[in-house]
Formats: sequence, C-alpha cells, structure tokens
Amino acid sequence: MTFRQFAFNNVLRNKRTYAAYFLSSAFSVMVFFVYAIFAFHPDIAGGKFNPNIATGLHFAEGLIYVFSFFFVLYSMSAFLKTRKKEFGLMVMLGMTNTQLRLMVFLENVLIGFGATISGIGLGLILAKVMLLSAENLLDLEETLPFYLPGKALALTFAAFLVLFVVISMFTVVILRGHKLIDLIKGSAMPKKEPKSSLLLSIFSALLLGAGYAIALSVKGTMVVVAMIPVTMMVIVGTYFLFTQLSVYAINKSRNKRSFFWRKTNMLFLSDLAYRMKDNARTFFMVSILSTVAFAAIGSLVGFKTMSTNLLLKENLFALEYTSYSGPDAQAKRDVETIQNALQADNFDYRMLQSVMIEQKADNSDKSIFIVKASEFNEIAAAAGEQPVQLKDGESMLIYYMNELMGKNATNAYPVSLAGNGIELKPVGSQSSHAYPMYTDYYVVADELYGKLAQADMKTRAFYLFDVPNLKATKNVGKTLDEKFAKGDNRFMSVAYNLSIMNQAYGVVFFIGLFIGAVFFVASGSFLYFRLYADMPDDKRKFSAITKLGLTDRELSGILTKQLLILFFVPIAVAFVHGAVALTSMQNMFGYSLMKTSLTVLGTFVLIQLIYFLSIRVRYIKQVRA
Amino acid sequence: MTEMLSVRQLNKIYGGKVPSRALTDINLSIGDGEFVGIMGPSGSGKTTLLNLVAAIDAPTTGEVLINGKNPHKLKKSELARFRRRELGFVFQDFNLLNTLTVEENIVLPLTLEGERVRTMEEKVTEIAKKLGIESILKKRTYEISGGQAQRTAIARAMIHSPKFLFADEPTGNLDSKSAKDVMEILTAINRSERTAMMLVTHDAVAASYCHRVIFIKDGQLFNEIHCGDSRQAFFQKIIDVLSLLGGNAHDLSTIRV
Ligand SMILES: Nc1ncnc2c1ncn2[C@@H]1O[C@H](COP(=O)(O)OP(=O)(O)OP(=O)(O)O)[C@@H](O)[C@H]1O
Ligand SMILES: [Mg+2]
Repeated sequence: MTFRQFAFNNVLRNKRTYAAYFLSSAFSVMVFFVYAIFAFHPDIAGGKFNPNIATGLHFAEGLIYVFSFFFVLYSMSAFLKTRKKEFGLMVMLGMTNTQLRLMVFLENVLIGFGATISGIGLGLILAKVMLLSAENLLDLEETLPFYLPGKALALTFAAFLVLFVVISMFTVVILRGHKLIDLIKGSAMPKKEPKSSLLLSIFSALLLGAGYAIALSVKGTMVVVAMIPVTMMVIVGTYFLFTQLSVYAINKSRNKRSFFWRKTNMLFLSDLAYRMKDNARTFFMVSILSTVAFAAIGSLVGFKTMSTNLLLKENLFALEYTSYSGPDAQAKRDVETIQNALQADNFDYRMLQSVMIEQKADNSDKSIFIVKASEFNEIAAAAGEQPVQLKDGESMLIYYMNELMGKNATNAYPVSLAGNGIELKPVGSQSSHAYPMYTDYYVVADELYGKLAQADMKTRAFYLFDVPNLKATKNVGKTLDEKFAKGDNRFMSVAYNLSIMNQAYGVVFFIGLFIGAVFFVASGSFLYFRLYADMPDDKRKFSAITKLGLTDRELSGILTKQLLILFFVPIAVAFVHGAVALTSMQNMFGYSLMKTSLTVLGTFVLIQLIYFLSIRVRYIKQVRA
Repeated sequence: MTEMLSVRQLNKIYGGKVPSRALTDINLSIGDGEFVGIMGPSGSGKTTLLNLVAAIDAPTTGEVLINGKNPHKLKKSELARFRRRELGFVFQDFNLLNTLTVEENIVLPLTLEGERVRTMEEKVTEIAKKLGIESILKKRTYEISGGQAQRTAIARAMIHSPKFLFADEPTGNLDSKSAKDVMEILTAINRSERTAMMLVTHDAVAASYCHRVIFIKDGQLFNEIHCGDSRQAFFQKIIDVLSLLGGNAHDLSTIRV
C-alpha cells in the first residue's frame, strides 16, 4: 500500500468525521456564493436600486468571508481534535512527523477543493429556489431574475481556494505544537474547571443594565448621541455576560444543594458550565450579529410600513396630474391621454380639476397660492376630508402636515398680495392632503376668487382622478408615468409608486433576512460541531449513567435542555437587545415598530427552532447508540 | 438463606456477520448476603454473564430472576428505576463523571430518585466515613488517585443500600495495596449490610475474599469452589483451578495474600 493509497483509505474509513468537516465547509462556500450572486446581481449593481445597497452588500460579503474563515478554521480544529488519538497511534507506529503533516495537509486541500465545488453547485440551486420564492412571497416580480453569475463564481472560487490553502497551512502549525503524549491521550484529558470572576460578572450586569436604562430613557435626537456609547456598553456587557456572568451563575447554583441536587439538574448543569465557557465567544458573536440584523430589519420593515402608510394617506387619488403652466394645450392633451388610458382599461373613474392662482406676496418674494372654495370642497369631499364653509370675502389657510414632522398645527396668518393690494385674513387654518401640495395655500370664497383672477395670471392646474379600485391602476400608472417622465409637468400614480417602493424595500428586506438566517444556521452548525467533537465523551458518560439507572426520558430531557440553552441563549439575548434598540429607535421616530419587528424576530426563532429540532433528534439518537 | 439471584438455562449468542456463542446453558444461584466471584480465561464470557444478570444486555434464551423479579421483563424506564433502587455497579475504569466533585458523584443515583437533600447529606457523610474518603469529598475526580476513585465508585454503588452489587474487575486498574483496600471494603460492606455481591475478576487474591468462586470456560460453567475456614487455603485452591483452566498463568507468578 503506497502512502497515497493509505491516505485515501483513511478518508474512506473515517467517513463520518470527514463528512461533518466537509459539509460545514461546503455550507460556508454555499452561503458565500449565494450571497455573492445577490451582491453581483446586474440589477443591483446596475443602479436600478439605491447604490448604497450594492455597497452594503459587498461590505456584508466581506463580513461573511471573515465569518467563513473562522467557521472553517473551527470545523477544522474540531475535526483534528477528534482524530488526535489516531494521529498519536500513527506516529507511534512509525509514521514520521513530515508524513503526518503532509497527510493532513493533503486531506485538507482535497476536502477544501471538494467543498468549494459542491458548495457552488448547491449554491446555484439554492439561489434559484430563493429567487423564485422571493418573486412569489415579496412581490418582486422581474426585479431580480436569475442570471448566470460569472463574477460571483470567480470570486467564490478564488476566495475559497485561498481560504482552504491558508487553513491547510494552519493544520501544520496546529500539529507541530503537540507532543506525542498529548496526541495519544487525545481528548481524554479532563478539561479545566470553568472559572469566572465575580468582579467581571458584576461589571457585565452593570454595563447591560446601564446601557438599557440609557437607551430606553433618551428621547428624540438624543438617541443618536447616545447610540455609540450605549452600543459599546452593551457589546462589552454581552461579552462578559457569556464568558463570566453565565458561568458564575451556574457555578454559584452548585452551592445551592436544594437546587443543584434535584433530579437531573446536577447532570445537566455541571456540563452546561463547560459548554457555556467553550461556546462563549460564539454566543457573543452570534448574539451581537443577530441584534444588528434584528434592529436593521426591524427598522427597515418599520420604515417600509411607515412610508407606505404615508404614501396612501397623502395621496388620496389614484392618479394625479399637475400642470405648472395652468390649463394649457399641453395639459389638455395629457389629460386626454390619461382619460383614454383609463377608459381603455375599463376603469370606473371620476376626474376632479382645479386651477390654482400663484401670486407674489406684497412685501416679499414669497409665492402665495390660492384656490376656489367650490373646487376645493368638491375635491376635499371626494378625498373624504372636511370641506370649508366660507362667506363672501373670507379665506382659510390650508397647510401640509405629516406624522414624521410632529403634530404642530400651523396657525393662520394674514398676507397681503402684490399688485391688487388685497389682504387675505384667513378665518382659520386646517390641514389637508386633498391637493398634491406640500406648502401652505389659501382657499378663498368663490366671490373673492373672482376678484383675484385675471387673464394673464400665473396658474397651476390640478387634475385628480378618483378611481375606486386604486390598487388596480398600477399598470396604467406605469405606462403613463413612463410617457410623462420627460415632460415638465408632474404625474403621479399611487399604485405604481407603491410597487416601486415595495420592490426596493423587498430586495433589501430579503437580503437582510437572508443574512440573518445565515448567521443563525451558521451558529447552529458551530454548536453542532462542538457537540460532535464532545460526542465520544458524552456517549461514554451516558452509557455509564444508564447502567446506574437513567431512564431514556431523563436522558433525552437532559440533552434537550442543554441543546435548548445552547441554541436559544444567543437568540434570546439578541431578542432583548433588539427589543431595546427598536424601542429606542421608536422614541426617535415616534412611530411604532413593535408589530413588524416581532414578525421578524418570530421568523428567526422559527428558523432556529426547526434547526434545533432536527439536530436534537439526531444528537440524542447518536448519544444513545 | 433465601435466593437473591437465580439464573436458569441462560444462553447468549452474539449476532453479527458470524454469530458467536458466548454463553451456553448457564445455571446458578446466589443467596442473600452471599459474595460470589466469577473467574475464567479471557473471552470465556464473564463480562457477558454479568451484563445479562444485571440486565445491561438481553439473553438469547433463559431466565434471570433477581429477588424474584425478572429484570428483562421490565419496561425500559422501570428497569432504570429498578437499577438505581436495587442494584449497584462498580466498573473497572471507575466511570466517574469528571464534571462533578467526588461528593456529587456519590449522590448522583439519589438525586435521580428525587431524595431529600438532608437525607442525601447524611448518607454521604456516613458512607464516606466508612470508606475513608471524607477528606476528598470536595475534590474533582481528576485530583484523586485510582484507589480513591474506586472507593468513590463503591460509595456511589452503595449509597442507596442496594440489594445486589455487581463489580466487573474493580481491582483491575489498581496496585496490590489499593486492590487489597477495595476488597476489604467490599467484604466489610457485605458483612454489615448483607448485600449480595457478584464480582468478576482475574485476580486470584481478590477472588479469595469471596465466599464462593465460580469458574467459566468457553461460555460454560467449569467448576465451583467454596471458601473454607482459611483464606490462604482458598487462595491456593483458586490457583489450582486456574492452572487447570490454563491461560491465566501470569496470575500465578505473584502470590500475595
Ligand atoms: N458485543 C459483542 N459482540 C459480539 N461478540 C462479543 C461481544 N462481546 C463479547 N463478545 C464475545 O463473547 C465472548 C465472551 O466475551 P466476554 O467479554 O464476556 O469475555 P470476558 O470473559 O469478560 O473476557 P475478559 O476477561 O477478557 O474481559 C468473546 O468471545 C467475545 O469475543
Ligand atoms: Mg470482561
């Protein structure tokens, strides 16, 4: 048997150990690749969306690469750890150190290469599936079609080739540090007792408490000022929460015998302290990253809901056309086009129109806008707003207000007009979204309007189309929008604008969800690796306890509790962090983000739950076997 | 003397590619408070017998009754409870949990039963005193010697006052001094608690502490000898049978009583 045959057979015989390492590597490649497919998507890169999205995506891709690196490195060292004893035997039986290192190096390069290829293959399938589901679920039709991802492929291939070669070199370094005796003893050496410091535990609790208190108490723009220090406090606090406080609490519970000596608590908690300490850094990383994902997605969804609501609330007519040069020939032609288009699609519509006078104020250059009460009332009635009651000579100030600007009403103020010297003294003021106007204007009694209006005056003409089935006008809106895009006048279709907005948010949302899900699945896999590496110990231990008399139920109970904690502690911490962050942001916007963010959190919990359930069954089965 | 263990026509055939017969038609009985040794060459089926009797493994045919009950007929969870209430185990490699202290290891079977903390504390103090391990109760398992570890394992096996104690080569990993200590402890417990014991061993010295030694060869009962008045004479008889059996010559070279 040549050395190469030996190495090859070695892989075949240790299928299970290798499979775990191989699969996790392939998984990293797949995640990176799928992500790259999005980041390099021609529609995103091509500027169909906000260019910041593409920048953000590439930045996140860098993060994923760093994450992958540690993930693969970790998987590799877990993989080597389970095989230490085997290496020890080989060295003892006369394999030279160089041969051993060469064998491990070659294995790693081979596994890495295989993982890259299969990761890319799986990634292609996954990307296709995801794009399909995105189309259906998020109303992203045709925004992100599938494409042949040449760039993404090249990047993934190159990036992981480098990664695996570097990591294979790491194996040599890892192996060099070990003496034969360590290799032979392998993982049988007892681990040191997990230590924790009281001081750092208190420090952690204080930092978290203070961070939360500040985040929840500051209001308005102070939120932005407090953001960085609070974030720092919470990050440091979280780190010590996992490395110190949790271990400290478990160790303390040891002294409380009425608790620690109860039923299976002893078996469950004594292991947990080790597992917490072992996984502290993973937990920390995962909970911080998930908090960021939660907060980002939560606020994004919040923003989306907010702007959708705003758009619908402010634009009460399906189609709006504003001519800045008054009711001239161009306006007439365009309005006719709109009417024809609506008729062609059999829309039941009503057109409302109004001519607005634009005049300068007497003492400043400010433009004063004036509309006729009868026209205003008709439009306001169609929009479901309150009409104005004006006697001859009276006027009313109309102002624009939205929820984001705060709730202050504008008080009526008088103005005298240039030229004719007439002074408008409004009898009151009210807010309205009836006209697509975002500045103050005056409604005047018809009689007064008659006095003001003159032939050569500057005017604006509004044509508002009230269509009962507003959402259905998206396609008409799109056609017309494209037709009028080059003109000077303003055209707006609510349904079409809404769909553009949904698409843009949908893409970002989708990608955000994807990253979040990836982090969770990755952290789950990290944990699974640790578990897998400790499996022989667990097996030995539980088979001994079973002989002493442990029911199957108690055994699966202990393992389930441990897994539950390992899987859901980071998510629970992220949940609390995220809730605080969102509440704080809510204080800044004065807009409730709770419902939407709960949906997001729920989705993550669900993904993690499915993952947990599938791992739990396998793990318990393997420990029992 | 009432019958504590009764084994009738026990057979064990291990499955697998080539089925192999490990035990053939074993009949034996152990009385209340009796201390019985099982000896035989390597591969003769001692561990197999112990596993069947303690219901760790299922027999191919035959019947096992412990205190009148057939453990193989119990449901899995009932069996687990039966074990931690009525049986005790001592293993060659101790099988202590290194995430727990010595004391916690000892009370483990009681915690699973949901015993009161006060009772558990009393029992630990009592048994630790008996075994001379009071000073190491707070230590972790990797901080104690092999002899101390085996005494801890005995304490764990005995803390719930089982009716029957099984030991598979409990002295196999110990030097002769520690082995002697362990055997003396087992003998003392056997006397004071009247616990029935079944001890699998290769060590003639350890076997000489028993009331009776049963020899197995190739999965069948080979011989059985009783301890008379003198342990020294009993030891000599054991050595004689072993040399008849063959395969255990190395045990003859060191005669230490
Ligand atoms: N799980 C198993 N599957 C198949 N055959 C087994 C199994 N366990 C034991 N055997 C076989 O059964 C026979 C008896 O084994 P057993 O372990 O009972 O011997 P032993 O007397 O305890 O030996 P030792 O003194 O070496 O511990 C041996 O031939 C062994 O190969
Ligand atoms: Mg054996």
